[in-house]
Amino acid sequence: MTRDLSRPILIAVSALLAAMIVLPVGWLLVVSLTNKEGGATLGNFVALFTDPTFVDPLITTLIIACSVSVICCLVAAPLGWLVARTDMPLARTVRTLVMASLVTPPFVGAIAWEMLAAPNSGLLNQLWRLMSGMPSDEALFDIYSLTGLIFVISCYTFPYVFILVANALDRMPGELEDASSMLGAKTWQTARRITVPLALPTLLAGALVAFLQALNLFGSPAILAIPAGFHTLTTRIWSLFQFPPKPELAAAASVPLLVLTILLLRAQAMALGRRGYAVLGGKYGAPRSIRLGWLRGPAVALALFVLAMPLFLPYAALFNSAFSRVASRIVTPETITLHNVRFTFLELSSTMPALKNTFLLATASATLGALLALLIAYIVARKAVRGHRVLAFLATAPLAIPGIVLGVGLFLAYTRPPLALYGTLWILLIAFVTIELPAAYQQLGSAFHAVHPELEEAGRMLGATRLRTLADITAPLLRSAVIATWCFIFVATIRELSAAVILFTSETKVLSVLIFDLKESGDVGAIAVLSLSMVAITTIVIAAANRLHARPQMRPAT
Amino acid sequence: MASVELKGLSRHYGNAVAVDGVSLRVEHGQLVCLLGPSGCGKTTTLRLIAGFIEPSAGEIEVGGKLLSSPSRTVPPEGRNMSMIFQSYALWPHMTVAENVAYGLKIRKLDRATIDAKLKAILGTARLEALADRYPGELSGGQQQRVSLARALVVEPETLLLDEPLSNLDANLREEMRFEIRRLHDQYRYTTVYVTHDQAEAMTTADLIAVMNKGKVEQLGPPEEIYAKPRSEFVARFIGGSNILRGSALDDGRISVAGKALRTTGRKLQPGRSVSLSVRQHEIGIALDTPLSGGDNHLHGVVTRQVFLGSTRDYTVALDDKTELRVTAPPGCNIAPGQTVWLHLPADQCRALAEDVP
Repeated sequence: MTRDLSRPILIAVSALLAAMIVLPVGWLLVVSLTNKEGGATLGNFVALFTDPTFVDPLITTLIIACSVSVICCLVAAPLGWLVARTDMPLARTVRTLVMASLVTPPFVGAIAWEMLAAPNSGLLNQLWRLMSGMPSDEALFDIYSLTGLIFVISCYTFPYVFILVANALDRMPGELEDASSMLGAKTWQTARRITVPLALPTLLAGALVAFLQALNLFGSPAILAIPAGFHTLTTRIWSLFQFPPKPELAAAASVPLLVLTILLLRAQAMALGRRGYAVLGGKYGAPRSIRLGWLRGPAVALALFVLAMPLFLPYAALFNSAFSRVASRIVTPETITLHNVRFTFLELSSTMPALKNTFLLATASATLGALLALLIAYIVARKAVRGHRVLAFLATAPLAIPGIVLGVGLFLAYTRPPLALYGTLWILLIAFVTIELPAAYQQLGSAFHAVHPELEEAGRMLGATRLRTLADITAPLLRSAVIATWCFIFVATIRELSAAVILFTSETKVLSVLIFDLKESGDVGAIAVLSLSMVAITTIVIAAANRLHARPQMRPAT
Repeated sequence: MASVELKGLSRHYGNAVAVDGVSLRVEHGQLVCLLGPSGCGKTTTLRLIAGFIEPSAGEIEVGGKLLSSPSRTVPPEGRNMSMIFQSYALWPHMTVAENVAYGLKIRKLDRATIDAKLKAILGTARLEALADRYPGELSGGQQQRVSLARALVVEPETLLLDEPLSNLDANLREEMRFEIRRLHDQYRYTTVYVTHDQAEAMTTADLIAVMNKGKVEQLGPPEEIYAKPRSEFVARFIGGSNILRGSALDDGRISVAGKALRTTGRKLQPGRSVSLSVRQHEIGIALDTPLSGGDNHLHGVVTRQVFLGSTRDYTVALDDKTELRVTAPPGCNIAPGQTVWLHLPADQCRALAEDVP
């Protein structure tokens, strides 16, 4: 009986996915190849690549991405090694804190660093002038610069590399190193000749992740590069949407970003695919831990210093701005005030609509995204219909579409009849669901892998129908994974800026766009309050998801 | 309870043939083992019987009712069968009692009946003390017993077992073999048992079907499969035999390493190359030249000898360098390098059918 439903389901889901992905990307390509009169042309690309206001951002972006990936590896590799393989004190805490720094949306980090290191008002510069007695037009740091931007992007990118490296080192079997010691190698020789080479593919993959992140980031460059008077690719695409909008040029400018992303993802898959020898599982012993001796103190100091960059300093600055009347003054018990909180939530007219939109969109995206991902994961994992591989491919394809490119594509696809969704919350919903679908699908796909098909077959052998088996057995086993996925999409949606910034209108402003917009008016106190609220919501939801995920009875049977 | 009959059952996956025209009748209350290496089609056959897959050709009848055919297949839940899975497939979110009672609840029995049946089966399977545990808290053997109890409590017409012991350690496996046979003797369900372990098949089955490349290569009681392998594949798979190659002579004997051997088994076509099997412990080994003039004797040199306690294991190289394994009594001590005569009794040399290509 179930067979009869399989074709319509497949067609419906594929059509939906195709509409979500093929439509925007298709329009993007079509518009980029069309001139004003509607004829086919390569003129847009010619115009772009001969225009220094496009070529310069392209070069700038490549410089940033290369620098960021090098810096991230230089910071994350030693830190990951210290945490995973040495007896450094507080290793667990350091690991948790690095992960926690990922909670910070990159654009919030950039705003916080503005508070810290803007040439005049920056807290660190003030401190330096106070201590050195320099005149007020001198500054130690200038965050509005290429180096400043590279630094801030690195702060919020290196955790990704760190997690990859630390996990790989965790899994690396201790025997491989023991074997080297047995052959007479000293500890440091083993580390250099065995451990490092084994970790290299992971590091390469990490470098590519960092490169991609830096390439496609919109928030940080928009906040730091534009005041500094230069553009990156993403901000340049965004500026083409400012009045007077030039969508055909924006579309053409999106194409290189799309192509680069696809190529880098392929390279990354290859780097990780060769990881074969550093593997996983089996009957290997625990990884060995190196004694640092007198270096333990300096090691942990270094780790905490690194953590100050994405975590301690920015949050100190955010709290300072949130609870002080003048953001550029250090708050004291006498000057502490709730004025900004009151202003943000009671007086600022755009706060409540933005919060409402954000929660509505996050809830809807999470629910829809999780359901869609669940359906696709079920079809693919149980090979329920012919052609299920197509669905798996479509569900992971958005990985290769940078947020801003998707934003442009959706703008082009839905500003025309019959689906004139631009200006509604629907277009944002489509954008968010599309962006989060790959991660959601991968999470639920692996959850399905953990549910052995025989568990379902056992139910059917005992007389339960396919539907009953789904309800009695599959659903309870997947419940925590589905909730975790829901929370994940919820959080990711709240933080999303790069697609939203292209697609929002004054009626459909969300929290991230509001923070970004307040930058224009320079309302630092409100920005700090809203940023901290965003981080707080994110943290609460993630904590709730983690609690649910750790339920004891979900251990598999064998 | 009912007989299970497979009629010309086939299953293709694209160009690959998983099951190729299998016909087999399992009588009421009989336990049949499908025995073969991985990829031989035994698990596919079992899943066809269970109704998880549809046949590409052929039919399955249970108790005279047609359950599977290419055009119509009754789903697993409509077959009143039970199955023991290789992974046990215990639901980790249900306790032992909930797992076992699930099939009864599906059958909409009343609370009192469910409780009574549950209590009885937990007693039989020695699981009373574990009723409120979760599967993750049980040992492998206990999980196996829960899976048996869950399958038996619904009193199925047919019981299917898919490599049920492959996840257990050696000691437990031996114990569970007898346990499965004991439960079978007690309830006498028509049972189909899939395994790749010939010892497991020997101890549990009434009838063994040795499968190879999707076909049943030989069907018979354990003794017959053991003593009279029909093909080289069966002889090799059951183990403990030497396979010799030679050519059929005009007088019906087979020429091996320059000597002629009398055999039993099938009729031979003169001139054709044939294989014969002879069990290791049926071969006599001696230093002396045979008195009978060398009838069914082969000549060779001992290349290796291993003392195994209750037996001695010899490797003997024949004149044409073919190596033969011989199991001899421990008192028979011949040093490597010695020339020996091997006696292969004619009634133990079985001429084998040619293998399916």
